[in-house]
Amino acid sequence: MNEGAPAGAELLEVRGLSKFFGDVAAVERVSLDLARAETLGVVGESGSGKTTLARCILRAIDPDAGSVRFNSANGWTSLHSLKEKELVPLRREMQMIFQDPFSSLNPRMTVQQILEEPLLIHGERKRGKRVAAVREMLSRVQLGADALTRYPHAFSGGQRQRIGIARALMLRPSLVVCDESVSALDVSVQAQIINLLEDLQAELGLTYLFVAHDLAVVRHICDRVLVMHRGRVVETGTVEDVFERPRQDYTRLLLSAIPSPDPDVPLKPLDRATLNL
Amino acid sequence: MSDATAAPPPARGEALLATVTPRQLAWRRFKRHRLALVSAVVLGVLYLLALFCELVAPYSPQTRNVAAINAPPMGIRFFHTDGFHLRPFVYGYDMRVNPDTWMREYTPNVGKRYPLRFFASGDEHTLWNLLPSTRHLFVAEGGYIHLFGTDQLGRDVFSRILYGARVSLSIGVAGVVLTFVLGILFGGVAGYLGGITDRAVQWFIAVLLALPTLPLWMALSAALPVSWSPLAVYFGVTVILSLLGWPYLARQVRGRFLALRQEDFVIAGRLLGAGRMRVILRHMLPNFMSHTITAATLAVPFMILGETALSFLGIGLRPPVVSWGVLMQQAQNWQVIVMTPWLLLPGLFVIIAVTAFNLLGDGLRDAADPYNTGGLE
Ligand SMILES: Nc1ncnc2c1ncn2[C@@H]1O[C@H](COP(=O)(O)OP(=O)(O)OP(=O)(O)O)[C@@H](O)[C@H]1O
Ligand SMILES: [Mg+2]
Repeated sequence: MNEGAPAGAELLEVRGLSKFFGDVAAVERVSLDLARAETLGVVGESGSGKTTLARCILRAIDPDAGSVRFNSANGWTSLHSLKEKELVPLRREMQMIFQDPFSSLNPRMTVQQILEEPLLIHGERKRGKRVAAVREMLSRVQLGADALTRYPHAFSGGQRQRIGIARALMLRPSLVVCDESVSALDVSVQAQIINLLEDLQAELGLTYLFVAHDLAVVRHICDRVLVMHRGRVVETGTVEDVFERPRQDYTRLLLSAIPSPDPDVPLKPLDRATLNL
Repeated sequence: MSDATAAPPPARGEALLATVTPRQLAWRRFKRHRLALVSAVVLGVLYLLALFCELVAPYSPQTRNVAAINAPPMGIRFFHTDGFHLRPFVYGYDMRVNPDTWMREYTPNVGKRYPLRFFASGDEHTLWNLLPSTRHLFVAEGGYIHLFGTDQLGRDVFSRILYGARVSLSIGVAGVVLTFVLGILFGGVAGYLGGITDRAVQWFIAVLLALPTLPLWMALSAALPVSWSPLAVYFGVTVILSLLGWPYLARQVRGRFLALRQEDFVIAGRLLGAGRMRVILRHMLPNFMSHTITAATLAVPFMILGETALSFLGIGLRPPVVSWGVLMQQAQNWQVIVMTPWLLLPGLFVIIAVTAFNLLGDGLRDAADPYNTGGLE
């Protein structure tokens, strides 16, 4: 984990990242920097390459060009040039929270099995330690210990997303990529999950790469934003800068698509009115 | 936004759902398919009959009853002239040759009452080629019993259908097992390795699928040497059926493999650092088998129909081997069909078995979907 690392120290450096599917450039020459304990939002319309970017960074898919450098416990490492095997120790440091709370959990494993798998993979032989770690994480994501023996089908969408979050955090990563991690949930559940993500960030010093198309959520949770359009970065800056003083037409278009809140309907618990929208 | 909310309310039906495993859930979903359930029972009975055909059949498939040639089916009765009998019986036939048509005509004779004896002694047989015995599930004491009538040589159609079931039903399963091995091998390799291998296998499959199946079956079967023993022919036909059947399965396996590789939970496993073996064994295979079993179930009918078709045309199994297809050879001209329609009964069994397999496959397909909670949610 990142104890002792100076706050604000760089964690991730992406340069000129490109990924092509056939002739289509899903991601084209994307560069970004991410500091520890920071939250960077990635926004853009559907098909703009957000998921592809997130997956290239974590090497879920191999990028075609560019570099991804990660500041791990052992100093800077170039992820893009590592073999799958060499990547394994680094997997402890970066994890992903998925969009679909249904397909992201193996339907044939119990919660206990799902949560202890990361520990097994990374060589924790003692069953007692694994069980203790799983229980601790379960309480962190506010699920009861009775969840352990159940299978994913026995949970609601929000509960499953908590399990997905717990799995991602079992290895105590420093970088967590959230790809639309709340967009499949009901609005009230969304707010709970966002609160949870924020609490966990504060407790564990997490760094988020937060992919979303709900700009209100991004504005609420992120420090900086990166706007993507057709695989390219069109604008990047702090949340205030981008939301208040967008420099690009595309960003303005994107922002204009945010529904203005109805003053008669209190939007709880994610209160958009207090977000000046 | 800062106050953390308590755990969300439980999902509907959670109390029930919480306690069941995915397998129990699949069983629940399967049970909702009444037809699939009935089909499973029907197939279970058919396979049991096939497994114990020597015991269940009252005669050996080659036993000839010269007193009843082309005789119609005999009904089991409980009421005699003197009233109800607990022990079922049949009436023997009186035969006369119609002087106009020269056809044999049979009428039940109330005077020839043959009571049924259960687990009694009859024709000699060797169960599974291992246990010699003369016991049969039922025999008609002092006479004969032909539940489904007899053929033009006086052989018992019921017994022959049971012996035929053993060959036809087992060839279906044997063919599918072989198809399975080939399909999973090629489909899995293509789906997993991707790239050139995938394209080569895909191309090969496309070519095989483009070949007209029936002529190819016929050509290959006709090439089986006549001198081969019945057992060799049996395996030859199985291999031929599988050779032409595996591309379908391979395609499904490959598609399923590719789809699974993209599933979030498989990607999640990889991102956790799981190696190839763990990803395949822990995440992919368990979620893959149910679909494959479904595909295999749906493939059995093709095998059974294939065997029947080849044998019916005289280029698959040949007498003295008894299979449903061989039996149906006897019903190849309209005269037979009109005069002795009971010789079509093997066809009825083919239809029952094939339909049951298809319905069972449908039920399994729905049960295999892990995201379907069977109406519990
Ligand atoms: N495996 C793939 N094969 C081919 N094309 C792909 C693949 N994955 C993504 N693409 C294409 O790459 C582009 C970017 O897709 P991506 O999923 O990254 O967009 P996104 O911004 O995440 O969209 P969404 O908001 O809908 O999730 C799209 O045009 C998409 O069709
Ligand atoms: Mg996406």
